[in-house]
Amino acid sequence: MSLLALADVTIRFGGLTAVDTLNLEVKQGEILALIGPNGAGKSTVFNLITGIYKPTHGKISLDGKPLAGIPTHKIADMGITRTFQTIRLFSELSVLDNVKIGAHCRGNAGLFQAFTRLPGMKREELELEEKSMEALEFLDLAGKWEEKAKNLSYGEQRRLEIARALVSKPKVLLLDEPAAGMNPQEKAVLVEMIRRIRDTGITIFLVEHDMKLIMGISERIAVLDYGKKIAEGTPLEVRSNKAVIEAYLGSGKFKSRIRR
Amino acid sequence: MKKLLNNWFVQALLFLMALGLTAYVSQVINDVLPPYVLIIGLFIGINLIMALGLNLITGVTGQLSLGHAAFMSIGAYSSAIATVNFHVPFLLGVLIGGLVAGLFGLIIGFPTLRLTGDYLAIATLGFAEIVRVQFTNMKITNGAIGFLGIQGSTTFPIVMTIAVLTIFAMVWLEDSRNGRAMLAIREDEVASSAVGINTTLYKIQAFAIGAFCAGVGGALFAHTTTFIQPTDFGFLKSVDILSIVVLGGLGSIPGTIIGAIVLTAAPEALRSLSNYRMMVYGLLLIVIMIFRPYGLLGGVNLRQAVRRAIMLPKKKQTGRGA
Repeated sequence: MSLLALADVTIRFGGLTAVDTLNLEVKQGEILALIGPNGAGKSTVFNLITGIYKPTHGKISLDGKPLAGIPTHKIADMGITRTFQTIRLFSELSVLDNVKIGAHCRGNAGLFQAFTRLPGMKREELELEEKSMEALEFLDLAGKWEEKAKNLSYGEQRRLEIARALVSKPKVLLLDEPAAGMNPQEKAVLVEMIRRIRDTGITIFLVEHDMKLIMGISERIAVLDYGKKIAEGTPLEVRSNKAVIEAYLGSGKFKSRIRR
Repeated sequence: MKKLLNNWFVQALLFLMALGLTAYVSQVINDVLPPYVLIIGLFIGINLIMALGLNLITGVTGQLSLGHAAFMSIGAYSSAIATVNFHVPFLLGVLIGGLVAGLFGLIIGFPTLRLTGDYLAIATLGFAEIVRVQFTNMKITNGAIGFLGIQGSTTFPIVMTIAVLTIFAMVWLEDSRNGRAMLAIREDEVASSAVGINTTLYKIQAFAIGAFCAGVGGALFAHTTTFIQPTDFGFLKSVDILSIVVLGGLGSIPGTIIGAIVLTAAPEALRSLSNYRMMVYGLLLIVIMIFRPYGLLGGVNLRQAVRRAIMLPKKKQTGRGA
């Protein structure tokens, strides 16, 4: 059953069609990867799903509910959270606060609670703290809860971003190049973590450049080139797909590339 | 013992005791110190209240506002009109000043907070000028001649009590869901909305609360000087308050307190230099910013610093150290 569905999604920036009539279904509980050469429109797809961009055409829906016109912050509440291609942490804040903020959409306290500090508010804060520490433990960052986010190592920062996206217990987690800039050991740890996250029932949709990682982890792969989906299938199918090889390596024929 | 301290009623009681103690101590000081020193203390308090408001907008939420004096003037005039024309009791007048200013913060917040950074700064600057010109041309404010005959009801204990109340409120706010959302917006707006923070809502909240503080400060100011005119609330006043926040350390409440003390007291302390006074004052600002580029207490986590200083062992992983 499809959890997140993109139907005929198109977005144009002026004359450039960044994503062109894309049809894609993310199934409940799977690990789906979106790959493609640089500038293929992968991150744009993420920005469309999270409401940062509005599609020119087409529909995106989560669990059958359309996401059109819903602001970004409500989309997080509905159960889609993400990480970013370039790390976007709250760098001056503590690791724990970063994760606590990640659960913002699951909280209820408002100004009244902030100023009265009634027992209900404190209970919520305590629960939040526990949930956040759990998420940190899950990503092996619990020992660093007091550090400022900016003082973490690169790999830790990437994991903190995932912890922040996880703490609100989303239905779908979008990972935008989670392995970028990681060394082989960090990548191995990451793969392990992504699997564990999926095992908790969270669907994973990721964009990645590292083919080895992609082939090893994903159950299905969709390939994007110039905004169009050129292939979809299991890693094995995609690996041997002619259009994919052409997109990445070229056809060897000069003309066919020019014609686009 | 710890459980007792976590009880809401005990905390509320302690809070009220703190306020009472402030009122009592400042009353004692009020009776002892000479009026000249007292008036400086009073202005420190007023500047602190306003600066804490601006700290919420600029330091915590990261929205650069150059129009804080406008909210101050709105609070000053509306409270003066309330107490003089409508014979409202003083403290109620102060509250009215704060509320009217807060309301304007809300109204101005909606259109302008879509802007960011320098653009927002220019917009708030423009707003401040509009307000100043408006007060210069209104009948009820007596225009450029100035508003006369305000009761000098502001006293040192009242200002100190309100200042302490404001400090408490700000500490609470920062340590809440709302405060964290505001901090997140300062750090990264895109990431904030991606985790479900309605950035517009929290920016407006910060703006309105900050404006409320400025309004309260303005009301206290009006009832101190007993005479206000539009030129009291020009661009330079906004810059004065902003300097307190920046020099103390953006986003730091203890920093803002120290900033308010230093920057309000320094011009008085330097009075003996007569003509060179403002020059030395300017030099002081430059020197502080060179040696403490993030402000006097910028980037200092007081809780952590104190804990490290007295070498308390780190608490267990769950629960933050108090």
